[in-house]
Amino acid sequence: MSTTDIGPKGPVGQVGEAVVEYVDRRAGAKTGITWFLKRNIPSETSWFQTLGFAAMATFGLQAVTGMILAMYYKPDPTTAYSSIQHITNEVTWGWLVRGMHKWGASAMIILVFLHMARVFLFGSYKYPRELTWVTGAILLIMVMFMGLTGYLLVWDQRAYWATVVAMNITASAPIIGPYIADILRAGSNFNPDTLSRFYSIHMLVIPGGIATFIGLHLFLVSKLGITEPPWAKRAMRARRAEEAAARAAARERAPQGRREVTVAPATQPVKVEAGQ
Amino acid sequence: MKRAEQEAYERDYAQAKKEGKPFFPYAIYKDHIVAILVFAAIIGMAIWQRVGVGPPVYTATSTFEPRPEWYFFFLFQMLKIFKNQNALLPVIMATFIVPNLLMGLLIATPFIDQRAERRISKRPFALSVAVLVFVGIGWLTYQGETGAVPVSGGAITFTGITPGSAAAAGQTIFANSGCTSCHMIKGSGGQVGPNLTNVGTLGKTSTYAGTIPVKVPGVKGPVYSGENWFVLHTECPTCATPGSAMPAFANFTAKEYQQLATFLNGLGTTYK
Ligand code: HEC
Ligand code: HEM
Repeated sequence: MSTTDIGPKGPVGQVGEAVVEYVDRRAGAKTGITWFLKRNIPSETSWFQTLGFAAMATFGLQAVTGMILAMYYKPDPTTAYSSIQHITNEVTWGWLVRGMHKWGASAMIILVFLHMARVFLFGSYKYPRELTWVTGAILLIMVMFMGLTGYLLVWDQRAYWATVVAMNITASAPIIGPYIADILRAGSNFNPDTLSRFYSIHMLVIPGGIATFIGLHLFLVSKLGITEPPWAKRAMRARRAEEAAARAAARERAPQGRREVTVAPATQPVKVEAGQ
Repeated sequence: MKRAEQEAYERDYAQAKKEGKPFFPYAIYKDHIVAILVFAAIIGMAIWQRVGVGPPVYTATSTFEPRPEWYFFFLFQMLKIFKNQNALLPVIMATFIVPNLLMGLLIATPFIDQRAERRISKRPFALSVAVLVFVGIGWLTYQGETGAVPVSGGAITFTGITPGSAAAAGQTIFANSGCTSCHMIKGSGGQVGPNLTNVGTLGKTSTYAGTIPVKVPGVKGPVYSGENWFVLHTECPTCATPGSAMPAFANFTAKEYQQLATFLNGLGTTYK
């Protein structure tokens, strides 16, 4: 009898185990979670490889603070501004939640850019992780659009006119520009529906897209495995061994350990190229 | 990447995995430490730098500055670089061609760079591109952050404007309609649009053929120039300057359009 065996499970433990067993038999949940958590990754990973997770965690934080803000925010041109003031000045902890949502947005942009920089510098976008990069790039664009649509919701002068200009710039793009701008503005000009349309895009449309693409991104990351830093000890050891083997093979083909000497055809003056 | 290189990588990675450790708990604990630090930083900033609210939309105040969030500064700044060329193409460069090119290149990166080498020390070109992009975006962001000039109310005085004249009325409309938040005049104002100090000397014309929404007596085609151009541009910026990013001001009276146009048309020539 091992020391961890502390006798029969109590009724709660038994029910818990039965529930897990029940779900696993039908949904394979245990298998999936084991696959995700217990898969091996290279033993040497860098702290820079935590940035993607940090971005994802911040997205979760934005979702939670955003839900709380949505309980008080009113997406209507006549009441939006005063509801923001209400959140900031009157609602308990409202200023904190709004502040966290605002600073969280900046943090997420910074984290995504840093994460992208690390992926680029590690060469992690190379085979077989090309599609991971593509889903990531789409995530970056969607995150930027979150910033654009969220900014208008405060409905103050600065944000309003900056968004008017941004929409006019969108409309100036050739061919599809005017249509995209009309869709975003809910018409050919800023109007009362523009605000609620931005609100819906900001809290339903893009978050849905981001959640979907984070899912794809993460699936690819766990299926392909996280890259080993190119300077990891194991990678260097493997590279050295490979180079030594290549040298040995070259030596075998050239007796006395010398490089082969190329001799030009006899019709021309004989020229000997010395290996360096 | 060549087939052989791909297979070599797969072999090498399989080896790394075999010698590796399980994701849980060896990597996930690092992830959580960093995420907790990030959350702490966000909460700390929210407490330390309280969020505020600016003046509400649609007030006649002229002391706001239409600026996007800081992470769009580099795009706005790019617009400023191309804007002053005044031809149509350069504006499209900044608003459409350059951003979309960058976006396309970003998505296509793994298909452009097909080499097997992963060590950054052996990828000098990739390193220079990365440094260039980050320094470039950082520099433009910094420029956007510091480039703003404070907007001072209607205190600017012009030689040549007599009190009670049409131009004086035009100047008042200009100061009270939010124009100064985007446009600089004599060193004061925003930088979203071009500097208007000498806009009267540019000799702007347009052959806009459509009808303009608000009828101002005497303002009609086929060629709009001088004051007529300014009336057209204020009422419908995209009619006068295709692709214009300026919002339309369609709610002035015919007289106000005329007064504003008199003021603008004289800037740099009669009114200095
Ligand atoms: C939200 C920002 C914004 C506001 C407010 C604004 N403008 Fe503009 N303006 C622009 C931009 C951007 C341009 C450049 C595009 C163009 O030429 O139409 C511009 C261009 C102009 C031009 C043409 C200058 C040139 O060199 O081509 C004039 C004249 C002008 N604005 C006058 C006005 C007047 C008068 C007002 C107030 C009634 C005003 N603007 C308010 C953004 C703004
Ligand atoms: C919302 C934004 C994003 C989230 C939440 C996210 C999340 C993640 C996570 C959790 C990982 C696991 C490894 C790590 O943490 O570094 C990862 C890896 C990866 N990400 Fe992202 N990411 C985002 C944006 C991006 C962007 C913008 C790119 C590039 C254009 C990108 C490309 C990649 C690639 C190629 C990997 C695989 C790296 C490897 O295997 O070493 N991601 N991402």
